Amino acid sequence: MYGIFVLFSLGAVIGLFTRGHKNNVYFTYIPAIIASFLTIVLSFLILFSEPIQVNLFNILHLFNFEILIDGVSAFFLFLIGLISFAVSIYSLSYSKKLDDKKNNSSLGLFFNIFIISMILVIISNDVFFFLIFWELMSLISFFLVIFEHENKNNVNSGLTYLVMTHFGTGVIFLSFLLLYSHTGSFSFDSFRDIGLVPQHIKDIVFVLVFVGFGTKAGIVPLHIWLPKAHPSAPSNVSALMSAVMLKIPIYGIIRYLFDFNSIDTQDYVWWGIGMMVVGSISALVGVLYALIENDIKRALAFSSIENIGIIFIGLGLSVVFASFNLMSLSIISFVAAMFHTLNHSIFKGLLFMAAGSIHYSTHTTNIDDLGGLIKKMPWTALMFLVGSIAITGLPPLNGFISEWLTFQSLISIFQIPSSIFQVVLAFTILVFALTIGLVVATFVKLFGIAFLSNGQSSKVTDATEVPRFMLVGKSILALLCVLFGILPFIGLNFIVQAFDLSYIPLNPFEPISIKNTSGDNFASLMMPAAIIIFISVFAGVFVFVRIIGGKTKTTKYGTWDCGFGSSSERTRYTATSLTEPIRRIFGVFYKPRDNIEHEFYSEENKYLKKTSSVYSITRNIFDELLYEKVTMSCLSVLDKIRRIHTGKINAYILYIMITLLALLAFTGFGING
Amino acid sequence: MDNLPSLEHILGIIQVIFIIAFSPLIVGLMRKIKAKSQKRVGFGIFQTYYDILKLFRKEEMVSDQSSWIFRITPWVNFVSAISAGFFIPVFFVHSPFGVVGDVLLVVGFFGIGRFFMMLAGLDTGSSFGGLGSSREMMISMLIEPALFMTLFVIAGFYGGTNISTIVSSAHETSFLAVPGILFALIAFFVLMMAETGKLPFDNPSTHLELTMIHEAMILEYSGRSLALIEWSNAIKQMILFTLFINIFIPWYIAEQISFIGIIFGIITFILKVTVLGSLIAFIETNVAKWRLFRISDLVAMAIASSMIGMIFFFL
Amino acid sequence: MDLLQISAVILLIATFGIVVRRGFSDWVHAYRYQTIILAVIVSLIATVTNILELYLVAALTFGIKAIAIPKILFYVTKKLDSPIKLEINPYVTLRSSVIISALLVIMSYFIALQLPIRSNEIVSVFLPVSFSLFFIGLFIIISRRKALSQIVGLLTLENGLFLSALVLTNGFALTIEIGLMVDILVSVVVSSILLFRMSQTFDSVDIRNLESLRDD
Repeated sequence: MYGIFVLFSLGAVIGLFTRGHKNNVYFTYIPAIIASFLTIVLSFLILFSEPIQVNLFNILHLFNFEILIDGVSAFFLFLIGLISFAVSIYSLSYSKKLDDKKNNSSLGLFFNIFIISMILVIISNDVFFFLIFWELMSLISFFLVIFEHENKNNVNSGLTYLVMTHFGTGVIFLSFLLLYSHTGSFSFDSFRDIGLVPQHIKDIVFVLVFVGFGTKAGIVPLHIWLPKAHPSAPSNVSALMSAVMLKIPIYGIIRYLFDFNSIDTQDYVWWGIGMMVVGSISALVGVLYALIENDIKRALAFSSIENIGIIFIGLGLSVVFASFNLMSLSIISFVAAMFHTLNHSIFKGLLFMAAGSIHYSTHTTNIDDLGGLIKKMPWTALMFLVGSIAITGLPPLNGFISEWLTFQSLISIFQIPSSIFQVVLAFTILVFALTIGLVVATFVKLFGIAFLSNGQSSKVTDATEVPRFMLVGKSILALLCVLFGILPFIGLNFIVQAFDLSYIPLNPFEPISIKNTSGDNFASLMMPAAIIIFISVFAGVFVFVRIIGGKTKTTKYGTWDCGFGSSSERTRYTATSLTEPIRRIFGVFYKPRDNIEHEFYSEENKYLKKTSSVYSITRNIFDELLYEKVTMSCLSVLDKIRRIHTGKINAYILYIMITLLALLAFTGFGING
Repeated sequence: MDNLPSLEHILGIIQVIFIIAFSPLIVGLMRKIKAKSQKRVGFGIFQTYYDILKLFRKEEMVSDQSSWIFRITPWVNFVSAISAGFFIPVFFVHSPFGVVGDVLLVVGFFGIGRFFMMLAGLDTGSSFGGLGSSREMMISMLIEPALFMTLFVIAGFYGGTNISTIVSSAHETSFLAVPGILFALIAFFVLMMAETGKLPFDNPSTHLELTMIHEAMILEYSGRSLALIEWSNAIKQMILFTLFINIFIPWYIAEQISFIGIIFGIITFILKVTVLGSLIAFIETNVAKWRLFRISDLVAMAIASSMIGMIFFFL
Repeated sequence: MDLLQISAVILLIATFGIVVRRGFSDWVHAYRYQTIILAVIVSLIATVTNILELYLVAALTFGIKAIAIPKILFYVTKKLDSPIKLEINPYVTLRSSVIISALLVIMSYFIALQLPIRSNEIVSVFLPVSFSLFFIGLFIIISRRKALSQIVGLLTLENGLFLSALVLTNGFALTIEIGLMVDILVSVVVSSILLFRMSQTFDSVDIRNLESLRDD
């Protein structure tokens, strides 16, 4: 275990000291690759043996640095290990792009420390150190966000990130302090006897924990940092941030919900309902903004918000079921949420790396500048396609399984013995379904515009396939998408094992099945068999078509251009026009505004137009309506406070005197009273 | 997995072949009825078969701007439609493959076909393709909530998303006894019209850029690929009809494996499909294509209907 | 029981016919179907409860509401000057109003569940439906601009009230019933005359024109 830390640090340090060296990249990332592989091994070791609990040192018997790796931690360790393994391999080539202009070794340093800090957050068993590492993780990721700081935008988004993440940390800190005041210890072990804490405190702590961790996870309306920060970071880092860092808050929430509390009474229902409502809103808002976004990395960042929303729907549902004592349903929805967590890490890591590859070879992430990349970068295109199919939840890839499970658990809400809750929860289905529909549209747009058709801009024509290591990094995750899709029992058994659920592990030839109350088969799914059917049908059809059709010729020709001569770049459908109908339908939400400008050959004759250009603007209602107001009011309050600072020394001394007097008076009254 | 392929499995395969084989016939039949009700003579009802056969033997033209996505799309579409057919009971309640997948998998298979279709529309680089994809994107996004809500109501009433479970319990209870199902029926009917591109939503018989949706996406296809696409659309329509019939009017479907029962099941099924097809053809004759942005009103109706179905289910 | 439920469902569907259509004559058609179904329901209740008076009420409903009132309204629609006999730009878009009406139906089922009056099957089946009719009628009045739709909304609302009163009391005295019906008839005639005057004065039946009556 220590080997992991040693290797990561080694990567960090060697990378720093060999700056300028030709093979600097290898020194940095190869230790990271080995270390992340070790992390995966470690998580598996823990799964199949005992949890590890080590007490490293303590300070004043209060701050006790204790490491606890149980199944829950092991699951998240696996996530970190897996994604950083792939991303580190990817980075071997990716960071070469920066060599000429950038201090590459500092990226390597931060990269390694970032992974270490995430691992430390997961395994620490004490509030104090949890928060320290949490803060470390936030700070390092801040540095990574502003890594390309020549761009003014990046600094801005970094600052937004810093403010929001500290707001979150503050709230988490508050929640832990509240717990501390009732348990009297900073160790997580003491929090596990939470039964002593009164219910209303637990409720308050839940709200604080949810808001605090939710800020980091990017729930709406606390999400604004996410679509700014993720695209600003270098792509390998945004892959790590989106795929792994967003899952750490989920770890925190799971710790609080299921480890510290045991949910068994109906007092907890509103926790679940709250999470589901917030989750649904996040899912819908996230995907709506992802849809109209033309920057590929920003679109992916918004889509992360959506997936976090889906995970929260699953978790909330699990809490609701648990509080009505429907344990088996609770387990199914929990498994759904966790499987989606795993899947989202895999495909979002993949998609961000693919987006990074596009940036690597075309130096742009705006999809309207792209087009026809599938011919230039066939492998990247294939990987992106796999990622897209997985994220849209279509069979046979892994996204389908987790969305299937989520939907099945949503259907089962009719077993809740309260019709008000049933109806309220049933609306989640509408939101969930709409989200899925919109995700399909989003990824058709991203893939279709960026990779298909023909692109004639110089950015595309000069593009080449990315180096080998980048492809290897992506293909690991792409293969996992396929693997978890067609053999879902691997993932499910892994989760069942990790969280120690009372759910019988599946055997490979058994369908995932859900029974209803009378024991009948409610629903079942057996992906391997479905794949066998699919493949055999394909073979059958192929033979059949060959037999009745015989051999036919295929001719290549130009696309039909209505007889207008060669169809140019300008006749192509753009990303904006592709989503225009949806934008019209959700007009309330986007508040789209089209400016049409005409240029004329002469001012007198308005019929001879030279050019017409359309600018379509959509507004981000969260930025405008919520944050601007909050910022404005904060500023005005601060302005008032600023008047205290008069600049005169006499005034400051007056303040000191007043403070002293007040304190003395306070203590005096305290003693007397 | 150790039991031998039983009679049930053979029946299951026969059902799939039934769907594949008769789907063009239904298309031909509906065209004929539509023509007759518009006082035209129309083609013979077997014309669809001849078309498909002819197209299979024709030379294929592929745009030089397209990629392999364009080439594999017809195959993906066709194969996913047939694979979806494996889970549908046609004239016999127990589909032996029911344990493999449920109605959500069927939706998923349709979804993957549609996903590739939209990509193929964009692949050729013509603005027609983009236009078709854009509109298809909108409609498919809109019908998703209605579809899932309807599935929720059906699954709730009939105890499962497994299609065989649904059909067998639908067979036991008359839908008149459960008013919520009536609303689900309305919603499902609207969805069926939308999914198969029927008239208020889409008019597949025109090639006018104002109206076409589905045709715009497949404008660049020819020869064998076109045949596959046409056929897979026919199969998709047949599957949806079958689902509609077996969920809402499952009377006389064969419950046990007996020769008479199955023959009877087949005959009633053919009758029901014919009636449903003619009904839809008549509706198509009577309504005009709606403006694109009014389609959402129609889908809103389906959503509302399934929502009321849900409230009936919870009471 | 089955029959009652089904008739309630059909009544609901017919009510949605008013919400989803845009044309003036479509509304009147939809209203007529709705009232015919209402009359059928009244006679159904009559058979279940064995109150012979209710048959008469059903016949009255059919005669006045399903024949006379639509006749008047059709006449009005035909005679109106305005060339566009459509609800073009309602305050709430058609798709949203469909969804909102569905939500109103759900709400009314909930309200009916909360009320302690669930004495028999007829009440438990028809009370929520009558509430939905009432609320949808109100919603139509709120969300539309054209004066004719206001009348149709009012009539729908009245149908809801009529049904709930009938269900809860098993029919008032016949004289009151007749009085009510005639009342409606008169109100329709009066509002039709108003409609005419309006379309003559303003060249449209948009109720925004009525805002100019305000004394500023």
